[in-house]
Amino acid sequence: MSSREILKTELAKLALGPFDSALPGPLRLQMELDGEVIVSAKVETGFIHRGLEKAFERQRWIASISYADRLDPDGPIFGELALCLAVEEIAQLTVPPRAEQVRVLLSELGRISCHMEYLVRVARAVGSDTMIHYVLRDREKILDLFELTTGARYSINFLRFGGIQADITEGFIERILELSELFRIRVKEYNDLFTYNHAFIQRTQGVGTLSSKRVRELGVTGPNARAAGFSADIRKIHPYSGYDKIDFEVPVADLRGLRSGDANDRFLLRLREIAVSTEILRQVAENISDGAFCSRKQGQEIKVPAGEAYVRVESARGLLGCHVAADGGPMPARIQFRTPSHAHLAAIPELLSGTRLEDLPVVLSSLGLGVAEADR
Amino acid sequence: MNAFLWVSSWLEGFGLEQVESIWILAPLGLIFIFLFIIVPSSMIVAYLDRKVTADFQARVGPNRAGPAGVFQSWADFFKLLQKDRNSEVSWSEELWLAIHTMALYSTVAVLPLGSLMLLVDTDMSVFLPFWAALVVALGTMLLGLSQKTVAGWYGGIRVATQAISGAFPALVAMICVGLRAGSFRWSGLVAIQGAAPLSWTAFSNPFQFIALIVFLVSGLVLLAIPPMDAALSSPDVSGGVAAHLSGRRLVLFKMGRFYSFYLWAVIASVLFLGGWKLPFEISENLLEQGKIQLLHFLELCCLMTKSLILILLVIWGARVNPRTRVDQITDFAWTVLSPFALFALIGASLVAGWGVLS
Repeated sequence: MSSREILKTELAKLALGPFDSALPGPLRLQMELDGEVIVSAKVETGFIHRGLEKAFERQRWIASISYADRLDPDGPIFGELALCLAVEEIAQLTVPPRAEQVRVLLSELGRISCHMEYLVRVARAVGSDTMIHYVLRDREKILDLFELTTGARYSINFLRFGGIQADITEGFIERILELSELFRIRVKEYNDLFTYNHAFIQRTQGVGTLSSKRVRELGVTGPNARAAGFSADIRKIHPYSGYDKIDFEVPVADLRGLRSGDANDRFLLRLREIAVSTEILRQVAENISDGAFCSRKQGQEIKVPAGEAYVRVESARGLLGCHVAADGGPMPARIQFRTPSHAHLAAIPELLSGTRLEDLPVVLSSLGLGVAEADR
Repeated sequence: MNAFLWVSSWLEGFGLEQVESIWILAPLGLIFIFLFIIVPSSMIVAYLDRKVTADFQARVGPNRAGPAGVFQSWADFFKLLQKDRNSEVSWSEELWLAIHTMALYSTVAVLPLGSLMLLVDTDMSVFLPFWAALVVALGTMLLGLSQKTVAGWYGGIRVATQAISGAFPALVAMICVGLRAGSFRWSGLVAIQGAAPLSWTAFSNPFQFIALIVFLVSGLVLLAIPPMDAALSSPDVSGGVAAHLSGRRLVLFKMGRFYSFYLWAVIASVLFLGGWKLPFEISENLLEQGKIQLLHFLELCCLMTKSLILILLVIWGARVNPRTRVDQITDFAWTVLSPFALFALIGASLVAGWGVLS
């Protein structure tokens, strides 16, 4: 809001949601508006609470994986991976190198796919239909790869305790290499078409600025935190699944910029992450090792001894934590997730107050919220 | 009033008797223009829009209804006509929709479609569609306010703010053209232009070219055409005023939006781009030979081609660029378009004055 706008009107109350085209998922926003400017906003969540964590306690260990990939429908691999890593830690299972590499490949494919979903949402918020179609066209190729190797495009249910469900399909590695080459070109194309578009910059710059101080206080992680200048990335701090053997750099927004942490920064950072993930894909695919894909026999009931483990993975939205408690029985005693979107939800009220109503979809989509993941 | 004589020539062509009374000719003329010129060209533009957009966006576009999907617009039209909303529509909503539609289609009477197909050619012809556009914006705002929904309320107010900010530069740009022609009659405005691009008003001097650009862009703002359509399509108001309309009311509203876009392209072609002027003295030869209907047709084709190209250029811009925010649009209109329009006006006056003095 510029300083010229001093016209004050009576405050209007506006409730949006739980279902509205401006929202990233089922949420309710209770807002007070001064003309076109949002004065205050309250977020209500829980509209797609599925009792997921409770459901884990009523399933056998092997079934819990398919529940974990329902944690976030846009990035199913991250929930599965976090759960598998935690259970493997309790049960002291080793994972063969080939399985670890496939896990990394799937994670990075999932990250790119999730970020592309994000680009689509931002494009929809600013009304750029062309970008939506371009990005969706390319995202199809990733979903094709998921289908090729796991049989499903979403909810892949592919990881197993101690490895993966099956060996990768023939031609998968070659297609990954082709894809990484294609995406190198595509990211440049997106930049030329949209990132440097004056109207796009006008719509996103200075909108929904999240300061690094508030990032720390709210516990915001992942690309949103890195867009505010935080270089934290679990893949670097606590490497898992062999991320320490891969040579990659985590993109961080330049703090010297005056408006670091706005919607435009968050958008740019995701684009840069797509490029980095492409590079990781290429490295892993070129050095894929032979050998077993699982340290356990398929279909065998797993015996998890009593114990507890907490692991963290870097999901596409940020830090995804998984706390598993086992009592030695056939079913988990408790499985709990720390989801990044929950912290992002907490940032919404302050990001919205002071912005124009028209920027509401831009702010919300630029956070990359997974409401399903936050509600669980 | 011999403005409607061309209608009787067409009627004779269909084997009907000579009709002289103006009260029969005028409505027939309007219906003729609406049914045989506006509706078909709208359908052509709608089809081209979808196909060209699809091509830009790496997809196929309509391909089922008719060969290569040419009947898709008709299919949509008839589908929407069959639908109607369940909830009640308030009388004020009906009233404002009717007023907004009447204001819009009143401009059919002043639509310049050829040297002989000019229904109302007065000294104020240029301004009539312009005032109609403002009445339409006001009608749309009141339609939105009477809907008593968030989308309608905000959408309606935004339409009005946009229209007010776009109207001033558009008006000034039109005056620039009038200064050169010394008239605001359609016939006078086209008479000073030739068929060749260099003899068009837009390229007669740099100030007129600036006026053309200002007119094109401020038309987008005034009528809320993409990419300046934040008032009607922004996701936070989920379609604005149109969000609460459905069935035949939506058809009426959407066709009105489309017609205003079309009207604006036709006027821009007439004011700046040579209008219906045909090369190689075709008009004179055809007039001598008495082939009036062929002349009508050729002039119309010439004008429609120019308008279509303009429309496609705008669609191109709209597909490449994201939607601009309403306050950015109004800021742009007041702080960029208006100064340029005034600059063009001063320049055009100097050029006109120079011509008179020398």
